[in-house]
Amino acid sequence: MLRNFTWRGVALGLFSLLVFLFLVAPLLIVIIVSVNDTQYISFPLKKPTLRWYRAIPKYGEFVDAFIVSFELALFSSLFATILGTMAAFALVRGRFPGRNLINTLIMSPLTLPGVVTGIAMLQFYTWMSMGPSLGRLVLGHTIITLPYVVRSVSAVLYGFPISLEEAAMNLGANRLRTTFLVTFPIIRSGLLAGAIFSFIVSFDNVVVSIFLVSPEYNTLPITIFNYVSYSAEPIIASISTVQIIMIVLLMVIMEKFVAFSRYM
Amino acid sequence: MTNSEPISVGSTEVDLELVGIRKSYEHAVAVDDLDLKVMKGEFLFLLGPSGCGKTTTLRMIAGLIRPDTGKIFIRGKDVSGVPAHKRGLGMVFQDYALFPHMSVFGNVAFGLRMKKVPRSHWRNKVEHALELARLEGLEERYPKQLSGGQQQRVALARALVIEPMILLLDEPLSNLDLKLRQQMRVELRQLQERLGITTIFVTHDQEESLSMGDRIAVMERGRINQLDSPRNIYEFPRSRFIADFIGESNFFRGNVTTISDSGDVEVKSEEGFMVRAKTPMGVSLGQQVSVAVRPEKMSLLAQPTSEHPNCVPCKVSAVVFMGSYTRFHLSLLGGTLCIVQQQNVRGARTFRNGDRAYITWAVEDGLVIMDHGQDSQ
Repeated sequence: MLRNFTWRGVALGLFSLLVFLFLVAPLLIVIIVSVNDTQYISFPLKKPTLRWYRAIPKYGEFVDAFIVSFELALFSSLFATILGTMAAFALVRGRFPGRNLINTLIMSPLTLPGVVTGIAMLQFYTWMSMGPSLGRLVLGHTIITLPYVVRSVSAVLYGFPISLEEAAMNLGANRLRTTFLVTFPIIRSGLLAGAIFSFIVSFDNVVVSIFLVSPEYNTLPITIFNYVSYSAEPIIASISTVQIIMIVLLMVIMEKFVAFSRYM
Repeated sequence: MTNSEPISVGSTEVDLELVGIRKSYEHAVAVDDLDLKVMKGEFLFLLGPSGCGKTTTLRMIAGLIRPDTGKIFIRGKDVSGVPAHKRGLGMVFQDYALFPHMSVFGNVAFGLRMKKVPRSHWRNKVEHALELARLEGLEERYPKQLSGGQQQRVALARALVIEPMILLLDEPLSNLDLKLRQQMRVELRQLQERLGITTIFVTHDQEESLSMGDRIAVMERGRINQLDSPRNIYEFPRSRFIADFIGESNFFRGNVTTISDSGDVEVKSEEGFMVRAKTPMGVSLGQQVSVAVRPEKMSLLAQPTSEHPNCVPCKVSAVVFMGSYTRFHLSLLGGTLCIVQQQNVRGARTFRNGDRAYITWAVEDGLVIMDHGQDSQ
């Protein structure tokens, strides 16, 4: 007999399990569909196969879109990390007029509906006569991923004792060496969390991207989105699974190295 | 001032000089027109309550904040414009500020690395510094694996390894428990004497400053109120603030009624009794003064005595047993509270709550303090 057995405990356990299943069930279904040996999306599993994975290279538009999405996520997370870190330093340590206003502006993509942000950006690019390019996608995604970096870096900076920097300077380190030898190594976890998270956010984004893509520069989520509206081939499932695996791997790596969950 | 011991600092060479240092923040003045000379090899305390400007002063010496006006000289060289990392001073922070991502060795070697000491010399120097701080064999540990006392020693070794011209200590013992703190006081003082390093120690702990310092600068509201040896500060506090802040004092406020030829002064207290003390310089008839008396200089008697002219009736309101001594809380006429401290020696007379008693003390033990506007509270 379990010593702490109570019906209350069992009920709570079951309920938690259901919530968890509800969260991951859609992902599981996509994965199962991707290994199902049929010509169209179907569930449950009849006969397992990997043919829809082997078929991926034949669908050039998905491969191109994957490359665009990867480049886009890489550049926008890079820029967001650099700019966001600088912004976080200013917002946490600086005392200047308009600090709250700037903070609100940077955080606005989190509160505004993506559609609004997307339309606003499209309008802006049109006014500026910026045609379709990877650049305008990168700029847009940098703006929407910036808040994630600012948040995670701010979180570590708030807990960072200034005396560590003062000690380094007292021991003969100038500003630059203090930053690279003391500050960055200590806030590394927040920096990496922000970078990875902005990468994932950019890679996943549909709502804002849909206003900024063009036939030459189409992202993976948008391509998938378009494809399902006229086709039911399981290739969608295998492509999606690849994406899921990539993101899960990233999160596992981050969780291992920087206790990622602290910054979400 | 009578009887005060001469200050012996041992050196006439000035290691640090502050001239007219002033620093104000948005609403308040933190340090106000401060002058200070620290001699070579001296152990000087900046002592005061929080907000008195002692830490601000230390940080200005370290170069971590810039004074609004005034100059700082280290060994005669004006360093006012020299940034912190070029001042060559060692500092121990209140929270130790050890680098969490570096081992003990990495922490202590950091200063050597910044000063471009060749890598081959690090091992020896780090070991020597850790030996001075009495912390050998923990080089590979990380700060979070160390106890508070060990962290404190690493911080000290890290500051000493660069052979600083002046050692700055910002409340370094305040996070240690009492036993360890007392032990570190002795060790720190011995180390300081052995190295002969000029040291400035910031604290709000008067006991710390009395037990370790060559000189104490008592600070209040951004200024140095009194700069003197620990004994003089304790025996001859210059203001009511210091008499109250350093140790403990009973105050009898009143007006001077007589100044005798024998050098005694009589003060009629607000409660209505006469208090006799030695005449200080510059006191005049009718002047308002306070007579400060330390609790341990007073005794409590069951009967009035004629041995001392100071004999005040009172009622015992609380008896607090402290182990080696007992503290009596006494209420005087008019409700004024007075504290008397007696050693618990064999045969010492005990009193109980509500007992009537008499407080007595020698004329020499009462110190007349002029009530200046800013000191009276």
